[in-house]
Amino acid sequence: MGLIQKTVNWARLKSPWVLHFNTGACNACDIEIIAALTPRYDLERFGVVLKGTPRHADVLLCSGPVTKQIKCRLQRIYDQMPEPKFVVAVGTCSCSGGVFDGCYNVESGIDQAIPVSAYIPGCPASPKAIIDGVVKLLSSLETK
Amino acid sequence: MLIALFNILIFPGFIFLTLFGWIAEYIDRKLCARLQNRMGPPWFQPFADFVKLVSKEEIIPEEANPTMFKLMPVLALTATVTAFFYIPLWGKSALFAFNGDLIVVLYLLTIPTLTYFLGGWYSTSLYSKIGAVRSLTQLFAYEVPLLLSILAPALLANTWSLSEMAAFYGTHHWYWLFNLLGFAISIIALLGKLEKVPFDIPEAETEIVAGTFTEYSGRLLGLFRLSIDIEAIVGSALLAAVFMPFGLGLPPVVGFALFILKVLFIICLLSILRTVFARLRIDQMMTFCWKYVSPFAFLQLLINLVLKGIIVK
Repeated sequence: MGLIQKTVNWARLKSPWVLHFNTGACNACDIEIIAALTPRYDLERFGVVLKGTPRHADVLLCSGPVTKQIKCRLQRIYDQMPEPKFVVAVGTCSCSGGVFDGCYNVESGIDQAIPVSAYIPGCPASPKAIIDGVVKLLSSLETK
Repeated sequence: MLIALFNILIFPGFIFLTLFGWIAEYIDRKLCARLQNRMGPPWFQPFADFVKLVSKEEIIPEEANPTMFKLMPVLALTATVTAFFYIPLWGKSALFAFNGDLIVVLYLLTIPTLTYFLGGWYSTSLYSKIGAVRSLTQLFAYEVPLLLSILAPALLANTWSLSEMAAFYGTHHWYWLFNLLGFAISIIALLGKLEKVPFDIPEAETEIVAGTFTEYSGRLLGLFRLSIDIEAIVGSALLAAVFMPFGLGLPPVVGFALFILKVLFIICLLSILRTVFARLRIDQMMTFCWKYVSPFAFLQLLINLVLKGIIVK
């Protein structure tokens, strides 16, 4: 691996910008994601910044089982993100559908709609779990 | 030829400004984080952000005009770097100087705002169009106080050249104390020019996603961010040259350190202000700038006119 490629990989690990998208969650996971971005947990230590537009984002934080209505929007947001991009499923619902699994109006989990890189279970996933999940995702990329 | 290339590319040109811009961005973000009682980013954060953005995929919207869309970040970067050549750093003269370079620097510092407008307009996204129109509306609010407040010290020195102003304030010590009101006004105007928090209306991310830069990604966004960092340095260096013209003509190393300290002082001031205040609405900003800031800029002009009649013969 050349020096340039090494630098680029290092930079990608040190500056993951996240986009938060609610795919039909009950709002509990969203509150926990927002809590993870507050000064108490301070994700900017790891270079994480919350961005408003998919064009700037590297990591898509999704919460909730994918409802039929939001599926095409989720795929469109995913397509709008520039490569390389990663998806993190936050909460039990977004990992497997959770209590909503088998409902007539939901898919069972984010991976039914778009490829997912990391799963963070929990109902709701606590801020510490979210930070742990993001750090584990980044350190798994380091070895690639 | 070689010296000109060195000046343009390394010092005081592109590479020096890039490194200094990153350091200033780090200090800005770290200070903001410490004021909010959190850790803040590590020291290499701006560099990592830039490398990541440069290595990312670049998406150009189907509806956008590709030439204008790609040209605008480069133009913003060029204009800000060029403006820096006319600002005296620690000597009594800038790299290039002629009578009227004060106006040229202010004009070159206006170009980035125009490129934000054009870049946002040509991305043809609704959010970027709203952001673009807002950034141009904001221009009318802060540009007049900025010009008036920088005009006042120039009036006292009786010149349109930044280098001659530095020479005047170098021989007339303590005259810069008359311009403190203008300094406060120009700090407010610079906050507007850099689109920092009380005046970050064009990229208000809770209202219009990311404003002008909504459709920008990858390398182009990296260049825009770099040009904003460099604009902060050039704006602060301009204010340092106009309003803090003390200690000029020191030996190079001491003078250079003093220059860095002056610029960082202004950067820290901007950072504290952006942490303390919350965002205004666009109409509130217009009212504030025209009703309160501009009259004080005129007052500073009046003070300097009277002083010129009494003291400076």
